[in-house]
Amino acid sequence: MNNTPQKGPGESGLYNRIAVLRAERGISRQDLADAMDVNYQTIGFLERGDYSPSLKLALALGEYFGLPVEAIFSREPFQPLSEQVYGTFAIKSAPKNKIDSRDPNES
Amino acid sequence: MRAELVLMGRRVDMAPQAHRRALVVLIYATLTVMMVGLFFADHWRVTGYYLVLATGLINRFFLGGYNFGGLVKPFSGKPPRRSEAPPFLLLALRIYHAEPGDREYRSDERELQQRDRAHYQAYQTLVIVLALLWLLTSWNTFKPQLLAWLPMSPDLVVYGLVLAAIVVALTLPQCILLWTEPDMEEEA
Repeated sequence: MNNTPQKGPGESGLYNRIAVLRAERGISRQDLADAMDVNYQTIGFLERGDYSPSLKLALALGEYFGLPVEAIFSREPFQPLSEQVYGTFAIKSAPKNKIDSRDPNES
Repeated sequence: MRAELVLMGRRVDMAPQAHRRALVVLIYATLTVMMVGLFFADHWRVTGYYLVLATGLINRFFLGGYNFGGLVKPFSGKPPRRSEAPPFLLLALRIYHAEPGDREYRSDERELQQRDRAHYQAYQTLVIVLALLWLLTSWNTFKPQLLAWLPMSPDLVVYGLVLAAIVVALTLPQCILLWTEPDMEEEA
């Protein structure tokens, strides 16, 4: 029901990129839940940041996505992937009304 | 936790938190009415057993937690016991189920965390009931004049409180889980 992307760290105090990584790979919550041997509801809680996973689950997610754990979970908000790949050029050249992630105070 | 309840062949959607909360209210209202009604029947002399039995049935068909039935997965996380009885007998008794999947009874790490938290919260309530019981039995034994205002025998009050504590202990962890778990998302 609540499929909105993570806006804050949620109850866990952790930011994560699970929803983005899952969407990139075209994987459903159920597929990911089956691979991690958890309930699909738990994937929803993880994505919203409402549940802090065990180290075992965090490492399993890292192995599944082929990424280090710190690329999936962070205590600080993540920089958008497009910004990381293309730098600020992507943001400066994009139409202003389409930019959601840009800091309004940034020049 | 399961997202639906099967009642006499009908599937009831329990994914919305409001539905689960309504069920919890209905169950405790029923148990309260039963408890009061049965007191007037025979002061729970025999009907006290029926009340505990009814609580077991409520767990079996609605709440779960202790066996493979109801909304909450078994707390033990163990698979249901397999009967060695021949299939025709099971069919005659209509208790034959398809083998449940692993996920149907085994909780994952988040569900285990929720289960433990619910038991902790229920334990706190039970401690209050136990403290009340201690106070009542203490006054009843050493200062009976303090309980002279009670409209019934203090022993009966203690008995009723013990009965209520058993009902609460059997149902509260599951009810806390049903009450606190947010709306369940659709499988996707």
